[in-house]
Amino acid sequence: MNKAAKTKANSMLSLPAGNVPAPGMPKKHRVGGASLDAKKARSGWLFLAPFIIGLFFIYAPVIVDSIKFSFAQVKPLRGGGFRLIPVGWENYNEALFVNPDFTRELVTGIKDLLFDVPAIVIFSLFMAVLLNQKMLGRAVFRAIFFIPVILCTGLIDKIDADNPLSNYMQNTTSSIDTGSGTDTVNAIVNATDIQWMFSSMKVGTELVTYVVNIMNNIYDIINRSGVQMLIFLAGLQSISPAIYESCDIDGASAWETFWKVTIPMVSPMILVNAIYTVIDALTSADNSVMSFITDVYNGAGGQELSSAMSWMYFLIVLGLIGIVAAVLSAFIFYQRRD
Amino acid sequence: MDNVKNTPNTAPKITKETKNKIRVEFERTSAWTRFKIKYLQSGFFVSALFKIARFLLLIGIAYVILMPFFTKISSSFMSGEDFVDVTVKLIPKYPTLDTYKAIIKDNAYFQALFNTVLLSLMCAIIQTFICALIAYGFAKFKFKGNSLLFGIIILTMVVPHQTLQFSLFMRFRYFDFLGSLNIFNLIPMPTANMTNTFWPLALMSFTGLGFKNGLYVFMLRQYFKGVPDELEESAYLDGYGPFETFIKIILPLSIPMLITVFLFSFSWQWTDNFYTTLFFPTVTTKLMPNIVVLPKSLDTTIAPSMYASAVNNACAMLIIAPLIVIYLFCQRYMVQGIERSGITG
Repeated sequence: MNKAAKTKANSMLSLPAGNVPAPGMPKKHRVGGASLDAKKARSGWLFLAPFIIGLFFIYAPVIVDSIKFSFAQVKPLRGGGFRLIPVGWENYNEALFVNPDFTRELVTGIKDLLFDVPAIVIFSLFMAVLLNQKMLGRAVFRAIFFIPVILCTGLIDKIDADNPLSNYMQNTTSSIDTGSGTDTVNAIVNATDIQWMFSSMKVGTELVTYVVNIMNNIYDIINRSGVQMLIFLAGLQSISPAIYESCDIDGASAWETFWKVTIPMVSPMILVNAIYTVIDALTSADNSVMSFITDVYNGAGGQELSSAMSWMYFLIVLGLIGIVAAVLSAFIFYQRRD
Repeated sequence: MDNVKNTPNTAPKITKETKNKIRVEFERTSAWTRFKIKYLQSGFFVSALFKIARFLLLIGIAYVILMPFFTKISSSFMSGEDFVDVTVKLIPKYPTLDTYKAIIKDNAYFQALFNTVLLSLMCAIIQTFICALIAYGFAKFKFKGNSLLFGIIILTMVVPHQTLQFSLFMRFRYFDFLGSLNIFNLIPMPTANMTNTFWPLALMSFTGLGFKNGLYVFMLRQYFKGVPDELEESAYLDGYGPFETFIKIILPLSIPMLITVFLFSFSWQWTDNFYTTLFFPTVTTKLMPNIVVLPKSLDTTIAPSMYASAVNNACAMLIIAPLIVIYLFCQRYMVQGIERSGITG
């Protein structure tokens, strides 16, 4: 073993001073190399080596480049390589104050995100509770409900979104379904007349419009809540049945058990899912702000501008994640585990 | 003896007794009373109503999920006449395979399929192994900087790749090993153009930076945390090193979880159109996103936009057909794997 590795390992030691050889002492007595803790720490670094290499040689440079690009203009050189001309805040300035659409897209995008997150989290919790119950054909329902996780992603999402029929269909009397899922749902929603159902309850009109919007986008919401359902299902499975048994013996109704046992026990998952939903919406292909940014990217000379725009969007959403995490973590119940 | 004589009043009378069976006579509650107690009460009605409502709701949502697939399939078999005919709703009157034939022939489907299988298999295998390696390092080894690095992993998941697309592209377009770290260009490095090859995705998979790898590391870390430490300690006592223990003990243990991660990474790489369009800017290497165009030989003038939609649907079906087969076999593992991972915070 070379000396450098040994000193590195020693420096990582967090053992009492007695175990570390004093500088003057001969190091001969440590025949087996470093102590167990140091060995474990070293193999920990070895296991992480691929990621650390990637971090230093790909990810960190990419992040740094992206920030640099957002403050510069890129000129490709003839012999390969490229040159950066720093332009200061010009890209940001252009995105915010010159580009006519960016601010509008940003505001609507963030508003949609804020409205979608509770809908998706509540829906996926509801579905996970249903799919966790014992019933006829549970395996089949589970198999069907997780289809969107695998099949309705990326390219397929894009094909659905680009479907030239989906706009056209709404204005015609032709009866062929576009296959984008919205038509089916619209038919159901029209048949049930939710607006009428809700207007008879004494709730504000904002809530009514919100719920009606959710119902209109239920296909979208189902598609986007697959992983969240899986996470909630895992959380529900990890609740000990003994708790439910004792509730049953004490005479608690199913409704009470849900609010007093299930909700607190899955509350860490609610936080995880809220954050996952925000991230997923942020990185998904059908995100309106992101597709706007992609359009800018594909436009002439818009690469640097798109970097600036997406950094701004990302920082805003990161701030939102922070707020959501701070608010939700006040309500989280952590089961003590020893 | 008196006791024995008194018992027949309370004990059931034996009518027939053989070696294995015994038949006794007793007064049974009448069928009607049993029926009344079991079914004619509010609890049964409420639970039955609840079960029916639940079943209907699940059927309804399953319909919403499955219907688009049915309509996609049916419209992909339609011929031009069906789009003009108003009476055609779901089942085509003049079913034809022309759409599929045209896509397979004109858009070089099999070439795209072959390339995508190669790419997805490569990425999925590398990502599953590397993510398991990294996750195991996070789960079982305590060292300084462990939680900081895990935070960075989560950050790689949070930063949208659109934010990095330009710099990612530039990075692999003009690839050198030092890149931005070579701040003052002290060492002039030759650059390599890696676009249109599998190298960018291979390198990103090898370093745990691929598509949604942060999620896989997170899942696997939670799973490995649940593996008892005693297992490894006994392996160490038997003379295994940490890496040997990982390969020979931990990996075989966690095959269901690995299948889950493999399924995710394979299918998400399969349908990914961000990295494939970013790293394959020219269509020299045909991949799945490249087949979603209108085939030249198809005459779509009869109903242009509807026909285009049908072609898109047929493309979507062709793209996900292999995934459906895999899903049918592996979906069991997906649910089980997630359940066992215990993402319980």
